[in-house]
Amino acid sequence: MPSLPDSLKRWMRLAFLSVAVALPATAPALAQTAYEAQLPAALDTAAALCEHVPCAEVVPGATHFSERKGQPRYVEAYVERNGHRELAGYVVLSTDVTDTPAYSGKPVVTLIGLDTRGRFIGVRILKHSEPILLLGIPEAALTAFNRQYLGKFIGDNIEIGHSRPDENIIGLDAISGATVTVIAQNQVMMAAGAAVGRQVGLLEATVRPPAQFLDPGRPLDWATMVSEGLVRRLAVRPEQVGLARAAEPFIELWFGDLNHPAIGRAVLGGDGWAALRQRLGEHDHALFILRTAGRESFKGSGFVRGGLYDRVQVRQGQDAFTFRDLDYLNLYGVRAAGAPAFSESGIFIVRSPAFSAAWPWKLVFLGNRVDRETGARTFANFDAEYWLPDDYLAGGRPAVVQPDAPWVRIWKTRAPQIALFSLLLVTTALVYASRDRLTRRASRKNPWPVNAFKYAAWITSIGFVGFGLLAQPSITQVLTWFHALLFQWTWSLFLSDPFIFLFWIFIIVTVFLWGRGLFCGWLCPFGSLSELIYKVAGAVGLKRIQFSLPKALHDRLKWVKYGVFLGLLAVSMFSMTLAEQLAEIEPFKTTFLVGLFNRSWPYTLFAAGLLGLSIFIERPFCKYLCPLGAALAMPSTFRWFGLRRKQECDRCKACGTGCGSLAIDADGRIDQRECLLCLDCMVMYTDDHACPPLVSERKRRTRAGVEMTPIGTDGYFIPIRPVPPDTPPAN
Amino acid sequence: MVDPRMMTEPVTPDWTRQPSPARWLAGELRDHLWPWSRQGMQRRGASRLVQLFGFAFAVIVSACWVLAVRGELGPHGVIAWWTGWSAFEVALRLQAKPYVKEGPWWERRYRRASPMDMVCYVGFKNLLLGAALFFALKSQGFLGAA
Repeated sequence: MPSLPDSLKRWMRLAFLSVAVALPATAPALAQTAYEAQLPAALDTAAALCEHVPCAEVVPGATHFSERKGQPRYVEAYVERNGHRELAGYVVLSTDVTDTPAYSGKPVVTLIGLDTRGRFIGVRILKHSEPILLLGIPEAALTAFNRQYLGKFIGDNIEIGHSRPDENIIGLDAISGATVTVIAQNQVMMAAGAAVGRQVGLLEATVRPPAQFLDPGRPLDWATMVSEGLVRRLAVRPEQVGLARAAEPFIELWFGDLNHPAIGRAVLGGDGWAALRQRLGEHDHALFILRTAGRESFKGSGFVRGGLYDRVQVRQGQDAFTFRDLDYLNLYGVRAAGAPAFSESGIFIVRSPAFSAAWPWKLVFLGNRVDRETGARTFANFDAEYWLPDDYLAGGRPAVVQPDAPWVRIWKTRAPQIALFSLLLVTTALVYASRDRLTRRASRKNPWPVNAFKYAAWITSIGFVGFGLLAQPSITQVLTWFHALLFQWTWSLFLSDPFIFLFWIFIIVTVFLWGRGLFCGWLCPFGSLSELIYKVAGAVGLKRIQFSLPKALHDRLKWVKYGVFLGLLAVSMFSMTLAEQLAEIEPFKTTFLVGLFNRSWPYTLFAAGLLGLSIFIERPFCKYLCPLGAALAMPSTFRWFGLRRKQECDRCKACGTGCGSLAIDADGRIDQRECLLCLDCMVMYTDDHACPPLVSERKRRTRAGVEMTPIGTDGYFIPIRPVPPDTPPAN
Repeated sequence: MVDPRMMTEPVTPDWTRQPSPARWLAGELRDHLWPWSRQGMQRRGASRLVQLFGFAFAVIVSACWVLAVRGELGPHGVIAWWTGWSAFEVALRLQAKPYVKEGPWWERRYRRASPMDMVCYVGFKNLLLGAALFFALKSQGFLGAA
């Protein structure tokens, strides 16, 4: 490397250190956002919801609001005209309907306003825990996303992505880099809208043909009904509602269909079932519930106040069926032999033609989860599915097409990109697995047999993976997964971002095979961009001002990234929010997810500073600051297959002086935690015009007129062993 | 003479000389789970007090896991103790078993552990052990509430 005036080098080193140390500390103060906002403690329980949240913002013009009503709960909004109150719309708190988690694993608490024709007229995010919206993407992006719902009908088919008029699907623009968040938000919006719409008559309930029962004609005991799925169990453990773990369930319910003659007779006896049938109308459907454990009542106390049972409901597809006091009958005993002892019981009647026992349905227990640290209550429901078996239905169970889970839809809609991305990962791994062949074809003077693949991987990684797919792995994912591993692992959450999911499989596998270098050195979008800048700068004549830090200084500074990683990990145990903020030491969001010029200046300056520094120093961020690199370096200690060395490497400095990662020490040993697998040393390893031991052997053989044998896997010419003249030739 | 093919000089712990693969595997398992070594401690001149402290610490950490099973210690408490134990185990192993594996895990190559090697080894091993125990406890309904 050409030498520079010492003063210039000193200046550059000083500049590098200053930028590296000072910029991360310049994170701007957070503006007031909904990120982890403190919500009123009574939000989930208060009857007068609108005394606690700004309902008037989501139903503009409304001046009066009812108490919560219905199940799921909603609020009626009124305007005052000529001294009279007129219904202006409805307000629903998303967590009253669903606790669908977003990327953070927590729900985005949203206040939603509808007009009397079922159109969205207002949306307000009250609280979210989405790390990407904390510092990466401005929260205004989510507000803008929500604005797309305004004017749309709650019964529309709304999906994230392109509109498909031929399929009657309205598409919404996603937020780049927050796909999972907006998919979850779409689920929440549509579920909340539908929940209110069905209760107030804005949406028609699905009409399902009534079940035609098959009566096996044999008496059923309790054990048989359990084994055949004619009665089902719904149990909630204390820890599921935030209470201390205990042997006894918080509540254990058994439930089943009563319209079916076989089950009805088994539970109520022949006379009892006949009496029940007489009380049921044409579209009425009875079911029983027993409480066999727990002290919590499944009837609750709501029916006393409002005539509504607020602890249980039945859901079938998108339809929810709640029970009023008139829909309840006492159940005094269960006739089936072997029935368990119970402490609470009842018969509930679904009075709707939308319900059919031929289709699967769920009994839902509506509960509250208590945060033991804050005492705050959040909505939580627990359900168990019920579907009469084939043998009990004339014609068997009807075909039910379950809609794809959101993550499945993402994988399907992005299948071409996923296939290309997978191809990139597999190809890169195969190319690296063939490194021995490639490095033998290459030489120090002509490294292209290796570099062509490496540079292609960089360019693809920057353009396609980084800027195209926004699939830049980050330390925040490590922290999120670490916490998920310990607290709540949700596969669907991680599958929602297929590129990051696949990337991490690749990273985990290759780190144990070869070390972190294949990801960090070949496929990390930011690392590739950083090194590409360095290479291009060198190629256009800036090589004379490029330099490496002295090895001694490098050997001290390289520990900084481990400190950053362990610091983030420690902070995340106390505050994930703070850890997410500190993780801005990664310039990935600024570079790829949000864009260099779409963020406030400290972020832009930091990312641009690191990229600018890459003109002079090879991968400064990767070597000294990257917490993700540090996290991957630690298991790289135990990679299976390392790079090859010769004994002479302990004296020879040929590879070490050219090692861009500064991973080769004075004794010629490669530090696998720092090595980025550029393969430059491996090209030299078999280059008989560059590797000093091979050069001297080549010269010796040339002088002696001895044949040049191929170079073996040990890195030496295969030795020539003369055959003694009296040895008989082998057959 | 330094061997540049390994990050540190190779070592051959006595127990790895087992010719039987089953015994070697059992030795591997014991080596991962039991950080003490009488020879290693004697060689390093570790005091009885240090050894006693180590055993006491191990008992306390084991008790923490038992308390977690009983629902009397939440996840954060377990993690704090486990992290503390891991830090101690790094120091302990550097005294008692100052080596780490090199190369494929099914081979019998070991090398002297630098402090960073030991941090990586203990950190990674205990993360896997901790995660496995957490998974096991959570699947049984423990550790659900902090």
